[in-house]
This record gives sequence, C-alpha cells and structure tokens, in this order.
Amino acid sequence: MKDYLEIANSSFLWFSALPITLTVIIQAVIFTKRAFNSVELVDLTREDANKAFKVGAVSAIGPALGVFVVMLGLMAVIGGPLAWMRLSIIGAAPTELAAAGMAAKAMGMELTSPEYGLLEFSNAAWVMALNGGAWLLFTGLFTDKVEGLTNKIYNGDPKKVGILMIAAMCGAFAYLFGNELIKILNPETAAYAVAGISAGISMIFLERAAKKYPKLGEYNLGITMIIGMFFAVLFTKLV
Amino acid sequence: MTDKNKKYQESFTNPIIKYGRITNLLAVLFSFVPAAVLYFVYGAFPGLTNILNGWMLIASIYGIYAIVEPISYFPILGLPGTYMSFLAGNIGNMRVPCSAIAQEAVGVKPGTKEAELVSTLGIAGSIITNIVVVTIAAVGGAALMSIFPPIVLEGFRYVSPSIFGAIFAMYASKNYKYGGFALVIVGIMLLVIKVLPPYVMIPVAVFGTVAFGFIVDGNKK
Repeated sequence: MKDYLEIANSSFLWFSALPITLTVIIQAVIFTKRAFNSVELVDLTREDANKAFKVGAVSAIGPALGVFVVMLGLMAVIGGPLAWMRLSIIGAAPTELAAAGMAAKAMGMELTSPEYGLLEFSNAAWVMALNGGAWLLFTGLFTDKVEGLTNKIYNGDPKKVGILMIAAMCGAFAYLFGNELIKILNPETAAYAVAGISAGISMIFLERAAKKYPKLGEYNLGITMIIGMFFAVLFTKLV
Repeated sequence: MTDKNKKYQESFTNPIIKYGRITNLLAVLFSFVPAAVLYFVYGAFPGLTNILNGWMLIASIYGIYAIVEPISYFPILGLPGTYMSFLAGNIGNMRVPCSAIAQEAVGVKPGTKEAELVSTLGIAGSIITNIVVVTIAAVGGAALMSIFPPIVLEGFRYVSPSIFGAIFAMYASKNYKYGGFALVIVGIMLLVIKVLPPYVMIPVAVFGTVAFGFIVDGNKK
C-alpha cells in the first residue's frame, strides 16, 4: 500500500468526512418530518406517506449496490473516508476520479505515478471539494428562483404541470437511455444496450400487470433491473 | 391564494427553502474539511497555484453542469427534490427513479402537491438507503466483494443502463408521443449531429420535449 493511503484511511480523515455526511442525513430527516406534518393539508393519508418513504428506501437498494461496486474501486485511489464522503453526496465515481486525476495533472503527475504521494492527494481533496461545491452552491442559492421561473411557464395550470412533468421525464431519460442504446453499434459494449432494452420492455409489461396487482408496483424497478442485468450477462456469454 | 394553499406554503414550501438553503450551503463549507485536516494535522498543502490549476482543468469539463443540471432536472425533481438530489447525488440512477416508483405505488398525479410530498418522501428514503450501503462498503471494504459470485459482480455493471431503460419505458408508456419525440431528437443529436456536448444535449432533450408537449396538448381542454 502506498504511504499516502495510510493517512487517507486515518481516523482523522474519517472524522473529517463526517460533517457533510451528517448534513445529508439531517436534511433528509427535516424534509421527511415536514412532509409528514403537511399530509393532512393535501389529499394524502399517513399510510400513503409511510408507503412513499418505504418504497423509496427499498427501490434504492438495487441502484445503491451499483454504487457500492464502483466505490470499492474509488477507495483504492483516494482511500475509504473520501470515497465514502464523495459518494454520500453529489458526485459519482467517474467524476471524482476525473477530479483526482486533474488535481494530479496540475502537479505534473498521474494517479498511477509511483511518485503520487500525500501532497498530490491533498490537491485531490481541494479540487474535489471545489468541483462538487459548484452544484451545492448553485442549488443552495438559486433553487427557489428556478421554481419561480417554472411557475411562470405553466401559470399554475395543473394540466400544464402534468405535461411538463411527463415530457421532462421522457426527455431526460431518452437522453440517458439513448446513450446506452447507441452502444449497440459496438459489439464490445452492446451488452449495455441489451440491458436497457430488456429492462425497458419488461417495465412496460410490469406496469400493465401492476394495474391489476398494485402491490407489484413497489418492486417494478428491482425486477426490471434484475431482468436487464440477466440479459446483458447472458448476451456477453453467448456472443 | 386559498387558505389551504397558504397553509401548505407555510407548513411545507417555506421551511423547505429555508432548511434546503442552509444545508446545501453548509455542505459547501463542509466539503473542505478533509482538505483542511490534511493541512492542519498532516501539514500537507499543495499550494494555491496547483489547487486553482486542478480546479480549472476539471471545471472546464464539468463546471457548466452545475448550472445546466439543476435547471434541466427541476421540472422532474421539484423544489424539495432539487435540494436533496443535488446534495445527495445519484440523480438519474437513484433519486428520480425512486421518486417515480414512489409516486406510482401511492398513485398520485404528476405535478400535484400530493406528488410533491410523495416524491420528497421517496427521495428521502432512497438517501437513507444509499448512506447505509456506502457506509457498509466503506467499513467492510474489499472483503465484502467475496460474498458476491463473480457473475453477479459482472451484472452490477448493467445496473445503470437497466434503470435508464426501465424509467424511460415507464414514462414513454404514459404518453407514446412524448417518448417517441424525445427518442428521435436524442437520436438525431447522438447519431447525426454527433458533436454536441452533453450540456447542450440534456437541456435540448428536456425542454425540447416539454415544448413539443405544450404545442401538441397545451391548448386542449
């Protein structure tokens, strides 16, 4: 193990990662309490609220396992505490690796250089904080202004809000899905497209089934994810 | 404003803005604690020039997303969802899908106050799960890898594309016109124009489809 990793995994560093991770938890708790306190003002029951929280928590298990695997890779480079902190907040493994890489590059080095040491690691800590801080600063200062802007677009017309939501979801996920779909053009990455397509098709059928068996709806995401993973791995074994 | 709307504003919207702002801005400050500890405890400081150079290099790639993403995702995430998602991250692969599934499971209409509360709770639940899982990963470390068979670990690579495909299908099946239109403009950008950076493609995909929706259905009663 490299020397800097001893410090990067030290208990001081673990404690230094604690404040921001606690902030994430505290914010989630405050927002949850506020939502529960407001259910009687709208057409919802406490059972609905409990269900919403539970479904969110259960549906996140699959995606979180995906994060878990890339996190182990990130830990090898920037140590446990920083990987833990960066993946508890805004930032994904590729972004953070790029930030650490650019911090090293600024000092004329690479992450894999044998001379990469504590000083380069400390630059990574600064650069990751500055980079990720931009999203936090923007949303901290301007989220309510963005809301004012969107309110102007649809003028409080509930039908327009519905169009806005569904159309925006279609647009955003067509982009994310489209980036996986075009991987079909390259035999080496085609399995990613296979995962997306098979999960998409199974979601259409599960959505229909969920109309008959509403309980199923809570597990739709997990089931489609497993189907997507299964066909992608099967594809790599067969082709 | 009706009495109920006013009450909702006071009981939910206003506190969300207040606490959302405080927590996200505090998080900016707390982001620097590890770097400060490396300096004050271990005496490691790379120098201002190296920090700024590294920042410029990474900001030239990602800087614009700090503005484009919150605006593009706002119609989807709403006010509380934006504060939480841009603090906790994993927006496309976790926050939005969990919010969508929670809304489906409870059965609320998109864009209503009910949907806003359900979405808030779904996202909050997903944040707690995420923290638990990454904490287990951090503490257990590489030793945990051995509990999964290699073929399962291979399968984890396909988690994100599966989620993207599933959520796209879920919303496209609510309105095939929007889904089809969105996929066509994304296809044109990715396969025909090819040179556009993501910070152009994401807002074009989102707001292009919204504009299409308003033009096609906006004036129907």
